[in-house]
Amino acid sequence: MNRMNDMIYKSSPFLIGISSLLNQLRRQVHLKRIVHQPLLIGAFIALMLGGCDGHSGSGAENQIFDDTSSGVARDRDGPQLSGPAARSDDVQAFRVNLWNELAADDRCGDCHGAGGQTPRFVSLVDINTSYDAALTVVNLLSPGESRLVAKIAGGHSCWESSDSFCAGEIQRYISNWAAESRPETFSTEIQLIAPPDKSVSSSKNFPEAPGAFEGTVYPILTEYCSACHSDSAPVPQTPYFASSDVNTAYEAVQSRMDLETPSNSRLVVRLRDEFHNCWSDCSLNAAEMNAAIQLFSDGVETTEVDPNLVVSKAVTLLDGVATTKGVRHTANAIAIYEFTTGSGVTAFDTSGVAPAMHLNLSGDVQWLGSAGIRINNGKAQATTSSSKKLADSIVATGEYSLEAWVTPANVVQEDARILSYSGGVSARNFSLGQTLYNYDFLNRSSTTNGNGDPALSTDDDEEILQATLQHVIVTYDPNNGRRIFVNGDLVDAVDSVLGGTINEWNDTFAFVIGNEVSSDRLWQGSFRYVAVHNRVLSETQIRQNFEAGVGELYSLLFDVSEYVGVEQAYIVFEVSQFDGDSYLFANPYFFSLETTDSVDALIPAEGFVMKGMRIGINGREAVVGQTFTHLDFTVQRSNYNLETGASMIAQYVPGVSDNEEFGAVIALEQGAEVDEFFLTFEQIGDRENVFVEASPSVPGLSFQESEQPRIGIRTFEEINHTMSEMTGVAVTESGVAETYEQVRQQLPSAESIDGFLSSHQMAITQMAIQYCDALVEDTSLRAGYFSGFNFGVNPDQAFNTAGTDIVVDAFIENMLGTNITVQPTRDEIIGVLVDGGVAVGGESFDGLIDTLNVCPSDCDTERTETIVKASCAAVLGSAVMLIQ
Amino acid sequence: MIRVQKNRFSMFGVKRVLLFAVLIQCAFFTNAGSRDQAKRIHDRIAGVQASDAVIDSMAAAIDGENPGAAAFTAMDNAAFYNVTLKNMVTPWTNEEQTAFAPLNDYTATVIGIVRDDLDFRLILSGDLLYIGSSGPGIPAYNNSNNEHYAALEAQNVSLKDNLVGSSPQSSITGLPAEATAGVLTSRAAAQAFFKDGTNRAMFRFTLLNHLCTDLEGVRDTSRPADRIRQDVSRSPGGNSSIFLNSCIGCHTGMDPMAQSFAYYQYEYDEENDTDGVFGRLAYNREGDVDPETGSRVQAKYHINSNSFKYGYITPNDRWDNYWREGQNQSLGWDEGLPGGGSGAKSMGQELAHSDAFSQCQVRKVFRTVCLREPLSAQDNTQLGLMTTAFKTSNYKLKQVFADSAVYCMGE
Repeated sequence: MNRMNDMIYKSSPFLIGISSLLNQLRRQVHLKRIVHQPLLIGAFIALMLGGCDGHSGSGAENQIFDDTSSGVARDRDGPQLSGPAARSDDVQAFRVNLWNELAADDRCGDCHGAGGQTPRFVSLVDINTSYDAALTVVNLLSPGESRLVAKIAGGHSCWESSDSFCAGEIQRYISNWAAESRPETFSTEIQLIAPPDKSVSSSKNFPEAPGAFEGTVYPILTEYCSACHSDSAPVPQTPYFASSDVNTAYEAVQSRMDLETPSNSRLVVRLRDEFHNCWSDCSLNAAEMNAAIQLFSDGVETTEVDPNLVVSKAVTLLDGVATTKGVRHTANAIAIYEFTTGSGVTAFDTSGVAPAMHLNLSGDVQWLGSAGIRINNGKAQATTSSSKKLADSIVATGEYSLEAWVTPANVVQEDARILSYSGGVSARNFSLGQTLYNYDFLNRSSTTNGNGDPALSTDDDEEILQATLQHVIVTYDPNNGRRIFVNGDLVDAVDSVLGGTINEWNDTFAFVIGNEVSSDRLWQGSFRYVAVHNRVLSETQIRQNFEAGVGELYSLLFDVSEYVGVEQAYIVFEVSQFDGDSYLFANPYFFSLETTDSVDALIPAEGFVMKGMRIGINGREAVVGQTFTHLDFTVQRSNYNLETGASMIAQYVPGVSDNEEFGAVIALEQGAEVDEFFLTFEQIGDRENVFVEASPSVPGLSFQESEQPRIGIRTFEEINHTMSEMTGVAVTESGVAETYEQVRQQLPSAESIDGFLSSHQMAITQMAIQYCDALVEDTSLRAGYFSGFNFGVNPDQAFNTAGTDIVVDAFIENMLGTNITVQPTRDEIIGVLVDGGVAVGGESFDGLIDTLNVCPSDCDTERTETIVKASCAAVLGSAVMLIQ
Repeated sequence: MIRVQKNRFSMFGVKRVLLFAVLIQCAFFTNAGSRDQAKRIHDRIAGVQASDAVIDSMAAAIDGENPGAAAFTAMDNAAFYNVTLKNMVTPWTNEEQTAFAPLNDYTATVIGIVRDDLDFRLILSGDLLYIGSSGPGIPAYNNSNNEHYAALEAQNVSLKDNLVGSSPQSSITGLPAEATAGVLTSRAAAQAFFKDGTNRAMFRFTLLNHLCTDLEGVRDTSRPADRIRQDVSRSPGGNSSIFLNSCIGCHTGMDPMAQSFAYYQYEYDEENDTDGVFGRLAYNREGDVDPETGSRVQAKYHINSNSFKYGYITPNDRWDNYWREGQNQSLGWDEGLPGGGSGAKSMGQELAHSDAFSQCQVRKVFRTVCLREPLSAQDNTQLGLMTTAFKTSNYKLKQVFADSAVYCMGE
């Protein structure tokens, strides 16, 4: 193999190298192939065939213009050059790609021109001597290692506010020069190189016994957290780190404490940043917790990595090889934001298209560690003068595309502006916004009003917008009108407005993201990438840009040579910083850097096994997020390819997984520049370490140590059926059934007597009256129930002593039961119905029968029935029936 | 709004009756005799008043130091099935967990299993389905509506006497026998938990109803994340710490278990029948190919695949119980089972054979009969004893009712 003759990319310096490298990779027109990405070969072939030169795609193909060798248009006038013509193609390439960019007075021309300081690489009078001078400060084989780049990165006369931005731009110019002049040596082929040989560093590990914990952190937890995070809490919530059993608590708390950096402990973060159930002042509480964990940590000896683990060599992200999953189509990008500077108040436009339309960050806008910004309560806005390039470029073409990688913070915000080129809430050229689960796209044209209404929105039911990282592109052209693409796919939303012309665009508006220019349409969420194209991207190009992904991607090589009998043997992961809190480890494969032409010479005949792989970070296996623990893979000659190695995804769990891509999200600990990673194995080659799960403490059964009533009430259907039993009236009797249907949900639904309401009693009374009515109206039924009672006379005659006894005894027999001491006595029933008495409150009352036996004239026989019904209902609707 | 039905009582009259009703009070349950205890047992088990004759019989059993017999006497009352069991089970059959839902095949099947003293664990795996015996105005069981059970309820048909479970579920519904999983594959459960969504609801509510814990209670962030599907964002709102500290704790265990439902769907007319009243359970059999997934796996298992494209792509209905390791070992899994398999039947068996399942049934019955949660160590000891008795009785739920009623009869 002759790979070392090819160009090698390395990330140096860290802050500028990778992003600039990715820029140049994405803009290359001479891309050949990427090796060692076994699952991407097909995709790359497709890209090659599909036009990774930025000119492919249907529809727009014939409309592309302003293409240059750098792939972008730089439409400002270049510096005026006099003197001799370029003596060679290489000098011409230097002029186009580097000299044109730097010769102006506001860049390097003021000092490094003719007669100025050496090196005079931007002379206006002789391009050839400028070229000679430039060669002394650039490295065309490795642009990132150019002295020119290092000088700027070190703080020398950056023309913008960010040295890293200027250094990145210059590296890109040099790369473009190299790509044009030395295509035979300047390859974008990613080469894997061996990382430094590093063993896993020592770290702090949790002591086996909880003693130190018990004296430091545990008292705080039991005092303030045990109401919930204890197995004996009324409503226990895991983790039980405040359990009354210190062993249970210690076991549960370990993943919530960071011994290396106590302030990163989950216990602290929950109080400090998430204000989770603070017991007084959150910052003070967090400080108290932090101090306790620090005290605990101080008592923990730093130990070597667990000697029982079978571990790979260690690497950091800086040891990785920058790579990419594809080339983003940016041939017609007139503004690009990659948010890589990581600090400051400016997000730079890296499109190279003048004027630079940088965004000024204002309000609560936070930089993300993973390259991006999060809008909490602010915006990022360009000046109206720089924004004018949008109107100028887009009106000229009559079409455009907006592209963004965004993560909406939630799906409840409405009328929120993600991207906008506007003058306020009611005047715009375009906007991309969010309403709940929908993307909204407004474009001002001859067929809309000045606000771009009506909006084109994604369908409510589709819930296209999610609070997760999404790639969204909206396009506009007169033929197709507005279209929305999310994650590479065209959203099925039909534009109700025909396409029109956009000649009326207002070029005094400003471009803004995360809000309206008037700051009253806040959008909360994160941006990882934004671009404005003055062309409609074809569906192929949109898919291509989605597949290219976002963020910096590294190939991390974990050395496992000592275990497998293969020289320079590595497990290679694609690793990226997933967001500000985690890393993504994806698509592992086995690969050897050993130069050989024969698989048989490399891989042992019997192959070797890899099982139970885990990702380690800073000396410990990550507790959360492990995804390759069920790996059971044998590297064999038959599944190893000299170019692509052996994918560990295809055989991840045999017969179970359909995945072609697979990844683990692992929590970031101390930062991307510091965190050290390694792999552990339950088995690799002949080495084994049986992974032993900690034996969990069995939490005791929980119970509520509070008093609860020992009696309850009957619920709705019990009431219905009990009344039926007590009266002999069927539940299907029409009047009863109708009443029940109407009051069913007003009857008690739970047995708890504490939950009994007056409305329940009212519904019960309704049911009781209905049952008693049915009982008394049914002459046959009542004859048996009130045997001997004369319903055919008036109340005075009916409720003589004997008649009253018949009625009362019928209730006692059918409703109270015989010799049940918890039921009221016969005398008590007589008291309520006949004799009257004194209520609990001390107020005297007459008996119900007497109370009702009062008529304007003598009561008639119907009144007799009414009194029986009422007496029946008073007993039936009482505690006699209700209590159980 | 309260209305008086055809009974000629004015609202004034209603209030007067109500006033006198509240004057009638019951005594405290102290020094209760056997008749009082018999009444309580009957009230709690059957939900309705017992006749004097029944009280006599039950009191005699209590006096004869055989209170369990008294409890079984109470279970002879049809209301035990039509009222008590129905209202205990009905909330398990809908997401709202309301008892105000119609009788359905889920509820009827649980009632039938209790009535016939079958191994209660079969509710989550058996090829069982109880239907009503035919009768006037009772339509036949229909895969596409609940009218059969609605008619049984409307006519107050005795479930004790008229439930029939002699035909396997597969022969009634046409579902392949190996695809049946007790109430999990009932029409009512399908409508409640397979309709729309991702089928995770079926797992969550089964956990809630039959292991007595919501996902919060079994959250374990340390389990492998390899089976979490692509639709779960690993960075919700741009913050992966939410995923790593919260979401992952449930999905690590749930997703590999809910994979057992990968071939099931509830099909209904989304335009004209939004509640799915006339929908039916669908199942992809051997040879069926979903156009979205290219396999037997339902399309809902592959939705929102771009939320995290490195997540798990479901290829089949293989399930694995990751909770057999880690803190959820404490749920007491059956060592005689493999802890993995294919389809809902074996996954339902995995859940039903856990200690947590038995403990949950006991706890639910305790709550139904004693009308309260366990309050003390003594109560918990009793729950343990009843759980043991439940197991040794070959998982007959009536035994738990009897034991609970006896325990609480003297309170």
